[in-house]
Amino acid sequence: MTEKKTFTYYPGCSSQGSGRHLDESIRAVMPELGIGMVDIEDWNCCGASVGQIGGGPLSNLALTGRNMAQAEKQGNKDVITGCAACYLNTHGGNEKIKADEQKKADINEALGAAGLSYNGELQVHHAMEVLVNEVGMDNIADRAKANPLKGLKVAGWVGCQTVRPFAGTDSGGNYDTYEDPDFLDDITEACGAEAVAYDSKTNCCGGSVAVMKPEKTLHLMEKILNSAKQAGADVISTPCPLCQTNLEMYQDSINKKFGTDYNFPVVFPTQLMAVAFGMEAKKDAGLHRQTIRAEKLEKMAKK
Amino acid sequence: MTAPLPEVASRKYDLTFARWVRDNVEGGDKMNMCMQCGTCSGSCPIGPEMDNGPRKTFMMVRAGMREEVLSSSTLWNCTSCYRCTVRCPRGIKVTAIIQGLAQVAAKEGYAPKGENASFANAFWWSASTFGKTDERLVPTLYYFSAGFMEGIRKSLDNLKIAINMLKAGRMHIGMPHTIKDKKGLKAILAKAAEIEKAKG
Repeated sequence: MTEKKTFTYYPGCSSQGSGRHLDESIRAVMPELGIGMVDIEDWNCCGASVGQIGGGPLSNLALTGRNMAQAEKQGNKDVITGCAACYLNTHGGNEKIKADEQKKADINEALGAAGLSYNGELQVHHAMEVLVNEVGMDNIADRAKANPLKGLKVAGWVGCQTVRPFAGTDSGGNYDTYEDPDFLDDITEACGAEAVAYDSKTNCCGGSVAVMKPEKTLHLMEKILNSAKQAGADVISTPCPLCQTNLEMYQDSINKKFGTDYNFPVVFPTQLMAVAFGMEAKKDAGLHRQTIRAEKLEKMAKK
Repeated sequence: MTAPLPEVASRKYDLTFARWVRDNVEGGDKMNMCMQCGTCSGSCPIGPEMDNGPRKTFMMVRAGMREEVLSSSTLWNCTSCYRCTVRCPRGIKVTAIIQGLAQVAAKEGYAPKGENASFANAFWWSASTFGKTDERLVPTLYYFSAGFMEGIRKSLDNLKIAINMLKAGRMHIGMPHTIKDKKGLKAILAKAAEIEKAKG
């Protein structure tokens, strides 16, 4: 396929750990849709939701500054990321640098210590926004003619930071709404699967609090699993690597606490796409990385 | 006949803290727009874990209750879901303010041990040392921040999860992943800290 646009890709820390299957499936499907991606060289952590508490606001912003400076230096192409927290921090930080001359000067003074600089002219995009605004659902549906996921029922779980607080802003590409976003169900349907209606679509799993103190947030995750199950879903699809890991790894604890018997697979929309595009279940979709295997989806894979 | 009205207000509000928050916390300049509608606290997924919640916190800032605000559990339970931020009818950056106050509380020594601030310190250690988050070391350091026995207990709790993640290739054995230019990153962060410190 001819390339529509090339981005500088920011994989983020989870791409080398808990979210490897997100990274693998993004790398597989994006070029199929005409989106070129070149990694930010020697990228660093974004700071996530607690970096500013640990390091202070300017040091935390300097993490984004270094990534953006690298992106500018190696070809000055807009940045794309698939991780919700990376997007929140990198997009949010980039907009702060752009909006405030003093901040930009401070960041450049800090970057100067390593011989780097950043002009503040790049945009940071979420991979989901790129799918909506640059690729379009028609093109996804067209590519998914290879192996449409007929009969698979999917609960699209958007979570938080993929849409909040930037999806409805100009700089965030105005790609969806906050309360009832459509993009995830649209991707499901473009893949030939059925998007089920359920009421926990934009609920929070507890994020990093779930990592710190799961006992505080297990009920939040139980509610999501329960409503997806009630709606008859075979699988939950979420774009966020922390959501995916939390909801998957805490099902044992949830079952213990609530007397339930969940064994519910949670995948990424890009994994659905890889299977629907007729690509390899392992290499492209990373389905072997599920700790709760998505058996129905695996059976649908052509390779 | 009803009793006569008091001549002075029963309590004088001290705006020193509110003004400080306005000038020093991200989003604080819009806090005076808050009309106490409670959409923020009502939208919070983890509200019951918070003593005050954002709505009351904002009123406490206005009331000059510095100690109570900085030692509040509200600051350490935010999940960063941004529901309050997108729903606020006055466009106040609620999440940013709560996290900004958490930052101030951590800096001023109000943060309780074994809570979010310990996690944040473990996280920052990894990010600034290796340039990356090590998903094994950060939680482990955090678990042990609440004491040795608590560390052992929590680590054992998560053993099965860790084994599953290892099997799926989503956790690795060996040295942390690092960036190549650790020296450069260190220099950038040191400079940023120096600039921040000079500004007070």
